[in-house]
Amino acid sequence: MEGDKRFRELIDWSFAEEISEGERQLIRDHIRDCDGCKRYVELTARTIRGLREFTFVSGPDSNAQVREILAHHTGALRPRKVQFRILAAFAVALLMSFLGSALVYQVAKLLAVPMHFDISQVQPGVLIFWLLPSLCSALCLLAAPGENRGIA
Amino acid sequence: MSALPMTLNTTAESETAKIARGLRERDMQLLADLVERCQHRLVRYLLYLTGTREYAEDLAQETWIRVLQRGSQYNGRQQFDPWLFAIARNLAIDYLRKKRKAVQTASLPDDHDAVLLLPSSGPSPFEAAARSQDAMCLAGRLQILAPLYREALLLRFQEDMSLLEIAQVVRAPVTTVSSRIYRGLAILRSAFEEGDSHGG
Repeated sequence: MEGDKRFRELIDWSFAEEISEGERQLIRDHIRDCDGCKRYVELTARTIRGLREFTFVSGPDSNAQVREILAHHTGALRPRKVQFRILAAFAVALLMSFLGSALVYQVAKLLAVPMHFDISQVQPGVLIFWLLPSLCSALCLLAAPGENRGIA
Repeated sequence: MSALPMTLNTTAESETAKIARGLRERDMQLLADLVERCQHRLVRYLLYLTGTREYAEDLAQETWIRVLQRGSQYNGRQQFDPWLFAIARNLAIDYLRKKRKAVQTASLPDDHDAVLLLPSSGPSPFEAAARSQDAMCLAGRLQILAPLYREALLLRFQEDMSLLEIAQVVRAPVTTVSSRIYRGLAILRSAFEEGDSHGG
């Protein structure tokens, strides 16, 4: 009985996973003399055959629907490369805005004295008319149309 | 003799690597090919998991959207199908949990086994799909079989997945998967044993 139990485990393995040719031969030899295990093999084979005999019929337009949904979602999702490029361009533009504004701020300071302008008025003017447009340009990169549309 | 399996293995590897690259780049042609190849099996798996065709179709669509959104997470080192089925499974479990919580005020046990129980009322997806007398005989048993056994059996014998692939889908050790298959087989086999003994 214990021997049969071991063989039946081996029979289960033979159906569910790979067993060696030697083990297969062992089963064949055993079931030649053991009616109980032979029946066990037949019932297991019948069960597995039955499991394979469920036939599901999918809808005719099921694949087309999925493809359509995916196409719709792809339009909304930008490729990562494009997203990265836009972020990099934005970072560079932002950096240049501040560096450029700092430079222009200093130059304006230098020019204001010989030209007899009031520094306190020139420098805020530079900030408003230089830094703000630069920042706006950088932000526009994030809101570019089409493939370069904003990340927000 | 050993050259052939090696070649096949290399081909399989390059296939998964190609899929991984295509998913990273959101290659629509590749996605369309994958849908063509897997959609039928995916809906079938979800139907047997949820018991309702409507849920199965919706969840399959949701699964593909996840594949599109998170395709970069597929590394190409494992087969694509188990990865896809694992996404579908997680979505199905989340969906069924939410749905049943909405229906029942009593708290459900938090394990997946309970969530995956098929509704006892309504037509059985197995009876509708049975194409032989034996399949019909199994249909009733499958409907009430412990969900984790049923799932393991169907992945193994309907989807022809290896034990390792099933383990990847259900996120369980291979030994657990094989024990679920053997226990499930034993329960289903008894349907024929009983039928034969009643029949004479």
